[in-house]
Amino acid sequence: MADATAVAAAASSKDPAVGLAAVASLRTLLESLEELQVGNARAQGWSWQRIAEVMKVSRQAVHKKYRRLGF
Amino acid sequence: MFERFTVPARQAVITAQQDARERRQTHIRTENVLIALYESPTSPGAQLLRDAGVERADVEADIVRMHRGDAPDPEALATIGIDLDEVRRQVEVAFGPGALERTRAARGKGAGKHVPFDRPAKKSLELSLREALRLDRSYIGSEHILLGLLHAETGAAHHILASRGVTLAGMRAAVEEFGRGAASG
Repeated sequence: MADATAVAAAASSKDPAVGLAAVASLRTLLESLEELQVGNARAQGWSWQRIAEVMKVSRQAVHKKYRRLGF
Repeated sequence: MFERFTVPARQAVITAQQDARERRQTHIRTENVLIALYESPTSPGAQLLRDAGVERADVEADIVRMHRGDAPDPEALATIGIDLDEVRRQVEVAFGPGALERTRAARGKGAGKHVPFDRPAKKSLELSLREALRLDRSYIGSEHILLGLLHAETGAAHHILASRGVTLAGMRAAVEEFGRGAASG
């Protein structure tokens, strides 16, 4: 069973269609999670500066991206 | 350029915009224009598509397949060891049922905004004008939009049609044939 999984993983990693689809899905998932967490942080009174520091991005970047969502 | 469009051609452009918005896209793409041609069922564009064996349902199925990447795909994530159901479960513990799906990122970025044509779609409309001129027409009809879509090789419409055996040369011949037999539009 473990072998089969390993073989499947090895095969998929070589197929660009599979690998790229995984990355695209991961990006969408990341965006959703980021949006949820930033919204939650703002709801709990966090400043943009503090959010930016924890996320290791600039304050401007996170503010510009999420301000229009009303956070 | 739009003043030269026939009624069905105009309708196709309007419908393409609505279609893109409903699919929550940021831009109108060639596949939106393609499926919009079916909006006027008796127009030359729609008839030529059906004559070529391409039905609206076929195009819809292809579009849905192509857009599947817009929401996280559980199978794709499983290949890199991420269990989307488990992620969703954990997120819902903290943020409530459906939290992940309610995010703007999951719903699509284009929701509610003005939807412009993307580059291949714009190009395909320009090429429809060229196709009309080539056939010595003073108007741009749905059949010329169809030819324009077949021209714009970077667009998904071209891909959808090519995969179903529709070529620019073949459709040009069909359009000329059609023009001899019926009124255009």
